[in-house]
Amino acid sequence: MATLELSIQDEASAPVRRRRGPGLLFWFASAWLAIVLTLAILAPVLPLQNPVDMDMLERRAAFSGEHWLGTDGLGRDEFARLIFGARVSLTVGLIAPMIGLALGGALGLLAGYFRGRFETLVVGSMDVLLAFPPLIFALAVVAYLGQSIPNLTIILGVLGIPAFMRVARAATLTLARREFVIAAEALGASHARILLRELLPNVILPLLAFFLLGVAVTIVVEGALSFLGLGVPPPMASWGSMIGEGRDSLDIAPRLAFLPAAALFLTVLAFNLVGDTLRALTDPRQGAL
Amino acid sequence: MLTFVVRRLLAILPVLLAVSLLTFLIASLLPGDLAYVILGDQATPENVAALRHDMGLDQPLWWRYLSWLGHVLQGDLGRSFRTGQTVLQAVAERFPVSLQLMLMAEFIGLLIGVPVAIACAARAGGAFDRFMTGSAFAMLSMPSFLVAILLIYLFAVELRWLPATGYVPFTEAPLGNLRFFVLPALTLALAEWPGIMRVLRSDMIATLQEDYIALAKAKGLKPARILFVHALKPSSLTLVTVTGINIGRLLGGTLIVESIFALPGIGRLLVGAIYTRDLVILQGVVLLVACGFVIVNFIVDMLYAVLDPRIRHGHA
Amino acid sequence: MTNIVAAARNCAPIFLVAAFALVSPAQAQKSGGSITVGQEMDISGFDPLKVGVYDTSTNTAAAAIFDTLTTLDDKGEVAPKLAVSWTHSDDYKSWTFKLREGVKFHDGTPFNAQAFKENFDRQKDPANKCRCAFYISTVKEVLAPDEYTIVYNLTDPAVNLPATITIQSSNNVIHSPTAWKTKGADYNRNPVGTGPYILKSWTAGDRMVLEKNPDYWNKGRPYLDRIILKPLPDAQSRFASLQSGEADIIWDDENDADNIMRAQKDSKLTVHTYKGSGAQVYAFNTKVAPFDDVRVRQALVMSIDRPKMSQAISNGLSRPASNPYGDGSWVKCKDDGALPFDVEKAKALLKDYGKPVEFKMLVTATPRGRMIGQVLQQFWKRAGANMEIEQVDQATIPPRAFTRQFQLVPWRIVDLADPDPQMYANFRSGSPLSLANFVDPELDRLLDHSRVSADIGQRTNDYCAISRLINKEAIWFWTFQNTYYALSSAKLKGFPKIYNGVIDVSSTWLE
Repeated sequence: MATLELSIQDEASAPVRRRRGPGLLFWFASAWLAIVLTLAILAPVLPLQNPVDMDMLERRAAFSGEHWLGTDGLGRDEFARLIFGARVSLTVGLIAPMIGLALGGALGLLAGYFRGRFETLVVGSMDVLLAFPPLIFALAVVAYLGQSIPNLTIILGVLGIPAFMRVARAATLTLARREFVIAAEALGASHARILLRELLPNVILPLLAFFLLGVAVTIVVEGALSFLGLGVPPPMASWGSMIGEGRDSLDIAPRLAFLPAAALFLTVLAFNLVGDTLRALTDPRQGAL
Repeated sequence: MLTFVVRRLLAILPVLLAVSLLTFLIASLLPGDLAYVILGDQATPENVAALRHDMGLDQPLWWRYLSWLGHVLQGDLGRSFRTGQTVLQAVAERFPVSLQLMLMAEFIGLLIGVPVAIACAARAGGAFDRFMTGSAFAMLSMPSFLVAILLIYLFAVELRWLPATGYVPFTEAPLGNLRFFVLPALTLALAEWPGIMRVLRSDMIATLQEDYIALAKAKGLKPARILFVHALKPSSLTLVTVTGINIGRLLGGTLIVESIFALPGIGRLLVGAIYTRDLVILQGVVLLVACGFVIVNFIVDMLYAVLDPRIRHGHA
Repeated sequence: MTNIVAAARNCAPIFLVAAFALVSPAQAQKSGGSITVGQEMDISGFDPLKVGVYDTSTNTAAAAIFDTLTTLDDKGEVAPKLAVSWTHSDDYKSWTFKLREGVKFHDGTPFNAQAFKENFDRQKDPANKCRCAFYISTVKEVLAPDEYTIVYNLTDPAVNLPATITIQSSNNVIHSPTAWKTKGADYNRNPVGTGPYILKSWTAGDRMVLEKNPDYWNKGRPYLDRIILKPLPDAQSRFASLQSGEADIIWDDENDADNIMRAQKDSKLTVHTYKGSGAQVYAFNTKVAPFDDVRVRQALVMSIDRPKMSQAISNGLSRPASNPYGDGSWVKCKDDGALPFDVEKAKALLKDYGKPVEFKMLVTATPRGRMIGQVLQQFWKRAGANMEIEQVDQATIPPRAFTRQFQLVPWRIVDLADPDPQMYANFRSGSPLSLANFVDPELDRLLDHSRVSADIGQRTNDYCAISRLINKEAIWFWTFQNTYYALSSAKLKGFPKIYNGVIDVSSTWLE
């Protein structure tokens, strides 16, 4: 019943806005993402310095031909660490929110649509998960399973499920009573059809907005966990843990904290820009991301 | 409405029960035997056995859970083996700090996030929108442990406007208390507002495309009135959800901010309890925090019903 | 500590008069005012039965609330505190202390020999299972022959007993017996001593407020009206608090070298350092592979380049250690048997061992712990060994160590006037703290011998032989000697040396 929805949109004389094509910014963002992803994937075969080799007498060295971005607090090549850090941060930062998006989104959609006992059960179990202080959850899981990137990803993914569930459910709740859904029901559409064809495309928008937020938050939370000794095990680098380590040298070499923060910022922003533009190109409604 | 409230209230009980079970299981199954932790270098097998017996650790798990639950239901959450404080004493000392920090952080977060979101939504795709969206991500890219120390250096060490660390109870010195909370609350809020802003902006843009908004415009209502009166309320469902989650999360304490600013909050209490295997404190505090969270969520659910009357009447 | 020993040897019995030792320095002290002390850790309590052993943060509070029998003056010599004089038997196995008269606990009850004996007996009583009991295992009994006399009867000679009991530890500070009996479980957080400050209020995790004791036995002391102790766990914000004036003195360590160097350049701040005896040490668990093989242990020790490591972790402030005693100790060895730094030799040893060397090391989950862990990891990687860092909280390390659930654990030998208590605890087979699980008859013999002798030359020989043996077997290794740091506002005066690693602010004043 997408036609019905479209017609509503058309009738509403929404403020006319400039329809942006993929502008210069989009290409910059895409290029940045392509570069970061390529570097991250190819890091082990690139002619980089070893990211964990220390030159203890060359700590916090300035930019040079040998060390393009200088060295960190323990004399390790900052450039190599940034790229190897991207591997970890992007792995954790993309996969963990995907777990949340897939599981939480599905649960929220179903709960918001079917309501009743099922909704109570889903909301209840998510509340249990949410009510449990996340750090305690992380600490306990690390205590059992040990500290590794897959475990870390699972912890962050599971912690994200309730939030995605709630966003999906809230969106579904408002949409499910809307005219186009009621019309579809009246026309005898199956639950599966309504869920997938009518609700999902609309629910996915706030979910994706939340997902992009989730990427940034997850990468930063990983850094916070590293700061507490629960993140990626050293000497492995992640952007978050690099910011944490750089924090101790703020006075002498502020770049050690700000370079990874800038990398994180640009990447998250690029994800957002690309997502936004792609959505604008495929969806008739305006910039809802 | 009343049946809705009652139904929601009844749904809380199984949640709390499940939380108590989960808490107990996680606490009891943590690696590291409590008896060894307490006895330290005196941990001979006989001493360990004796202490385990004294503490009831030799009982089966389900029995320990039931007896703990029984005590909890009678209002006895137990006493820390390490400090000798009761759980209620410990929480009574710490909770006001976490609560105030949470409230101030959420308040500042909303104070920044909501107006920015509305302004962005009003001119979606415009220069301001794009700038603020970018700034939001810049803020998100700065972990709180970095933001905190930057704020301390700027406002406490350089400008000397605000104290770097510490805390006084509100009852002792209201103004001083607020001064101590500004930097930690700001640190948290700077991480909160981008989320608030993103969620509200996105919903707001959707609402602004509804036909009744067009109708309002056609009637010649002022844009500000449309934004704040007609569009804000129906757009705030997701915002309320996210705020509820944030509040719940912050209730459980914010270890990093508490540690950096030396605030005696729930986060440090809980993590200290985990590290020292102070299970009585751990179980008791997690249970109380969970109760607080469930109550907040109950309120959020009520707010849903207020914001969108259709939710009250679920089908089936 | 050479002076103490010399004194102990030359002039027995020692007799010191209170007034003599308490002569104040020439500076003009000022009464009044209040200071805030920034510590690293939260204090969990004071009851020895509950907390076992005090950590450094608790020691600082204990130094203000309680008194010990003896103290160290600014020359490092033993001075009277609650004891006014002391004598010893010829074999140094019995020490008699005359107690100060007219001293009262904060609750008004009198301090006397009976009170002291009760403190001791409570810790020693096997039924109480006190973790603190281990450190008084060489004290057979404490007798109270009259109201102001106590007698320590020891199992072995202790030449330096008056100096070793100066540390404000759970064993040495004197609690009011009436208080712990009446307060029960609440006593832990409501300590009552005879000290210059009285606990006024204490909010866990936030602040402990100590008020001047108006009836302190040492008239005119203390100077400050109030001391506030605060846990400031984060090193960066702790230093910022000192800069911004929220704290007047903070605990620090050399791994925070950037801030220490900033403080040195800042005319408004004073850096207090004290080069103590002892060292930062690490214990191999010799019962588990790969550390059951001496070649692996030696190889790892030989791969550590201490001067370079010092540069990496503390801008060069850390002083390399080659034995567990350090320059601050009276034990001076011509040959301590330290293994040389030799990566090639280390590689050869590992090659000889044949199997791949992989293990986990416990480190504290702090920036400091991770930094040191990664540097060691790097050295060992260069020699061909793979170390995995296992991060745990500071509080988790002792239980893991006591239960031997580790392969390699960091430890510390703190600054004490005599090596015996720690060396015996750390290396005598059968001791709960013998972390390496290493049994060697010769080592046991030397340890036993070093404590039965009162002769300083003989004991030095024993300790040097012990060092050679441990270094050769590489069951433990030492990286750096202890240097203790406190940073304070330049206005804070009268801060004593950081003996025993304890920041004692109870005799300071503000200019």
